[in-house]
Amino acid sequence: MPKPNYNNKHWIRDNDERISDNRDRRVAFKQGRNFKNKNRDLSSAVREYLVDEDIDMGLGGGSGKNIRRSGGKKGRHGGGEPIHKRKLLEGPTGWYKILIPYGEKYEKSFLQKLLLDKLAPLPFLPVAWQSSGTAVVFYVDDYKTADKLLSLSHQVQLPNGFKLIVKVHPGSPAVDITPQLKEKMKLVMAKRYNSLNKALDLTKFHADPDLKNDFCALFKPQILIAVLDIIGNEIPDLEALSLNDNRLMFLEGMKKSINKLNNVKIFHLRNNKLRDISVLDGLSDMPIVDLVLDGNPLCDKFKEQSSYISAVRKVFPKCIRLDEVDLPPPISFDIAEEINVPETQKTFLCSLEGEPIIRQFLEQYYLIYDTENRQPLLQAYHENAVFSYTMCHPSGSLGKDKNSAWLNWYQTDNRNLLKVSDSDRRTKLLRQGQLSVVSFLQEMPLSKHDIHSFTIDLTLFTPTMICLTISGMFKELKSGHKVPPIRYFFRTLVIVPVGSGFCISNDELHITNATANQAKEAFKTPSLPSPLPGTAAPPSTPVASPVIQPVAAGIPTILDEATKQELVKQVALQTGMNWEFSTQCLDGNNWNLAEASAAFQKLQSQGSIPPEAFIK
Amino acid sequence: MDQFKNRVHEACRIAEEFTKLYYETIDKRRHLLSRLYLNSAVLSWNGNGVKGDSDIEKFIKDLPLSDHTLTTLDAQPILDIAVNGQLTFIIQASGTVKYQDKNPKAFQQNFVITAQGDKWKIVSDCFRSPEPLGK
Repeated sequence: MPKPNYNNKHWIRDNDERISDNRDRRVAFKQGRNFKNKNRDLSSAVREYLVDEDIDMGLGGGSGKNIRRSGGKKGRHGGGEPIHKRKLLEGPTGWYKILIPYGEKYEKSFLQKLLLDKLAPLPFLPVAWQSSGTAVVFYVDDYKTADKLLSLSHQVQLPNGFKLIVKVHPGSPAVDITPQLKEKMKLVMAKRYNSLNKALDLTKFHADPDLKNDFCALFKPQILIAVLDIIGNEIPDLEALSLNDNRLMFLEGMKKSINKLNNVKIFHLRNNKLRDISVLDGLSDMPIVDLVLDGNPLCDKFKEQSSYISAVRKVFPKCIRLDEVDLPPPISFDIAEEINVPETQKTFLCSLEGEPIIRQFLEQYYLIYDTENRQPLLQAYHENAVFSYTMCHPSGSLGKDKNSAWLNWYQTDNRNLLKVSDSDRRTKLLRQGQLSVVSFLQEMPLSKHDIHSFTIDLTLFTPTMICLTISGMFKELKSGHKVPPIRYFFRTLVIVPVGSGFCISNDELHITNATANQAKEAFKTPSLPSPLPGTAAPPSTPVASPVIQPVAAGIPTILDEATKQELVKQVALQTGMNWEFSTQCLDGNNWNLAEASAAFQKLQSQGSIPPEAFIK
Repeated sequence: MDQFKNRVHEACRIAEEFTKLYYETIDKRRHLLSRLYLNSAVLSWNGNGVKGDSDIEKFIKDLPLSDHTLTTLDAQPILDIAVNGQLTFIIQASGTVKYQDKNPKAFQQNFVITAQGDKWKIVSDCFRSPEPLGK
């Protein structure tokens, strides 16, 4: 949007008396250069203006003075050639605002064609073309084009007899990132993304035909941040990024979101306005191997190629290609500095067959575990199940975090064999039997687990047992902390098949505080309102919901007599019914412990179980 | 019940002996590591699966030099129903590990160990370090 005080800025005179000659101009230009140099020193000031989105005011004013001064000289010298009367000062951002008074009187297409013809062979790519009262305003990103546009002023006769007036000054409009603009940006980025090599080409982003009606230039930190935002959400595994020809001056906006570029190995910044190698500081988390900085003022600061390379490698030690030239490999010591370890994988499954079983089991387990009533977990444990836990405060640097919540609750029953040496106490801290285990779990603080943070290792999957390791993050609720602390847990489960379901025979839990980084990453993905598709809906009354569901429901299971006896015993134990009724109950429910249990709950709540069922 | 109690005691004692030996071997004598594993043992190292004692030794040998310090230790006898009466323990440890003298990082690890003749052997081994180790 044009500024109201626009006309007060005397970048250009449309007053024909003011005529200067070239020599005069040179004087002005010198000043212009001085101004530029001065401005270089004031780069932080420019930065502020950029952030404030208000670059016109300060810089415009400053430059205006220069012009006026030179104008004064012109006045004294007098005379000159009208054709070269005006010279445009180079602005710091490389953007120029063009205003054509009364431009609204003409068809947009006519005006654009006229300017295109007159500018040839220079390219004409107006950005954010819009009307401002009777005038037309747009922006160009090229000094030569802007200068040429300025020289057209008063030189071109329009069909209605008037001469075309063109006002030019360095500057760019304030930008406001609306959801609509962001949506447009997303579409343009999708168009420019190559999924085959995971490369995003944002060369001359603002000049994209789909964006030219908006002022969407990456040199504006807000726009750059929005672009990184979209990358983080849509293409987190991006490997190559080109920001060529975007008039970037600073990369401040990137630094804050650098974690979104964790996989970017190829980074092209050709033909921008980066002035000093220090702009790369703070980007060293990017695993860059191929970098292009050619065409930036910073390159001219290095007298020798070798110092240029070493400055780049200081930030990106793995860089092996710079400005499209392969670099000699860095000479280092034979004892590697870098630690090379296999990348962490979230899941390991020794048997794919086991996956549906454990996924379903865990979903149902934590669905109940994260409620106030953990009693239904009784069915998830074998009658002789054992449970114990250990805890520790994070050590080293992690321990210095004063904000981390103490793990007080867990201290009393911490079965850390390194600290607890007494045999009786070691036995006592091992909860034995499903009742003892679940009543202890019930005592533990209320929790909310972040299923998306879970790692799963299935290391044993045999017909008789499953060994499963889970780790992840949970929030501890209602435990007296102002902010619910985020904890990290590591849990080993031994799971055994019982009847047509599964239950836990051994459960070892380890609890510690999440590190600051872990806490930041936790609960980022909104949790699903219901379990993954294909599994049972969350129970409205948890009591009636079996934790252990038959994996292949519907397939009749043939059970041997011993297993049947075991199941009857379980039902008898859970329901308090006698042997006969327990057997009947199971028989009517496919010998499925969970189904039988649910049926019992239902019937009992209706009061339809005869009293003799409980006579033993 | 007394029998179970004895097993609990034994699990704790073996866990102490085992972890001392295991972490000494992995830190200082990796070439002996395969002897601690069953032929068919499975290792999951930060989600990277390796099967078989010799491949596990090779995998560990390729890791940078390590220095483990234990903070917590826990152990349980696995119920007979799961292992058909075969004496088997589950051991869970946590602590810090330094790779190549870099900053110590937290880790957690569990082992399923079983009696094979007169030797304890690892059936399953799962190692996790929640923070990136590379830096």
